[in-house]
Amino acid sequence: MTTSTVAPEIAAFAAAVRDALADLPEEERDELTDGLEADLSESLAEDLRRTLPDPVAYAAELRAAAGLPARVKSRGTFAGLAQGWRDTLADVGIAIRRNPALGGALDFANALRPIWWILRAWLAAWLLASFFGVERGYGFAGGWWLVLAAFVVVSVQWGRGNWHTRAVPALIVIGNVIAVIVLLPVLAAADDGGNGDSGFDRGYSAGAGSVLNDPAIKGLSNNGHLLENIYAYDASGKPLHNVQLFDVDGNPLVTSRDVDQMPLQPAPAKLETGTKAYNVFPLSLTKMMWDQNGELVPDPSEDPGKKAAFRNGPFLKVPAVLDAQKVANSNH
Amino acid sequence: MDATQLLKGVLDVAVLAVVEQEDGYGYDVVRRLRAGGLEEVGDASVYGTLRRLYTAGALTSYVVPSEEGPHRKYYGINAQGRATLDVQRKVWAEFSTTMNNLLEAS
Repeated sequence: MTTSTVAPEIAAFAAAVRDALADLPEEERDELTDGLEADLSESLAEDLRRTLPDPVAYAAELRAAAGLPARVKSRGTFAGLAQGWRDTLADVGIAIRRNPALGGALDFANALRPIWWILRAWLAAWLLASFFGVERGYGFAGGWWLVLAAFVVVSVQWGRGNWHTRAVPALIVIGNVIAVIVLLPVLAAADDGGNGDSGFDRGYSAGAGSVLNDPAIKGLSNNGHLLENIYAYDASGKPLHNVQLFDVDGNPLVTSRDVDQMPLQPAPAKLETGTKAYNVFPLSLTKMMWDQNGELVPDPSEDPGKKAAFRNGPFLKVPAVLDAQKVANSNH
Repeated sequence: MDATQLLKGVLDVAVLAVVEQEDGYGYDVVRRLRAGGLEEVGDASVYGTLRRLYTAGALTSYVVPSEEGPHRKYYGINAQGRATLDVQRKVWAEFSTTMNNLLEAS
């Protein structure tokens, strides 16, 4: 006698096998399990002692014999990546723990994790601030401190494992990777901005002198003003010419000679050794301009009065210096 | 030595040989393989192998409705399957001769 229906346990078994093949394309799964109920019914009817095997193992055998890849859990790509990353970390962790010295180092590194949480928050805030073009250097100005504080809270909470939703671990992995990648260039950029004048000093100079936009400009300055020239007067208050100035190390004191930045070009004095000297004051200055070809040439429309002022200095005569001896005498 | 390990390498040619004799559905092929002496063969392995040989183009397949129960899926050999079987028969003959000689000589 035969039955026209499939026994319930066989139907359930076949359904479980199809479940275990659920990651395959539907067509492939149907082809693989087509006739399964008939085959199983006959197989069981023939061998009454036989029991149905584990459907998952059965499906794996079916899959392997058909040359299909083993089951991959149907998770999202990012979740899969995160899982793989965690598995790798776990394997590495086990390997490290087998070595006591490395295990100690791992504990030490773990203790430093909060520093990384702060650092990555700083990086995020710095990137955001840089994006808006408002930051140079390591520091923050004004409201950006609040942004940094907010990022620190988020970063630390993530690091402590609070605030985790399903997507967050993958986000953290991606965020950490990005943070590490940008870390070096950001440090370099921040360092670049941090060298030389501080932001405060630059701002002060720009406000006070409106000349110093680039800290690379060299020259003599007085309270942030770049000096164009120096005028010396003798004890009797008369102007001096051809005064050679040096610092304590013997270096000539020279005003800025970066002609690309300075519209005033000094003419050098000639020393008896034949070398040109730019530390001989007052300098003879020529107002320069750029012509149509982009060449720096003397300005033909220079105000002669101003040129004379540059040459003669601010005063024709200044008050004389009282001799100490004369002061002493006058008090008698 | 585990015969099931050896079987993995030769199940393809065994299935082809059985289907060449006569078209068969899944369990029918299993039964004939077991009757031929491969008693340990697993049915899922045979079904998967049938499916793989069909995908590779060595078998044809057709469904036969059954009045008594679920339909059966029959497999038959085609020209490509016969060519494959001929090649594998020669390979097996040479291999088994080599193994027999090796084992008898020792």
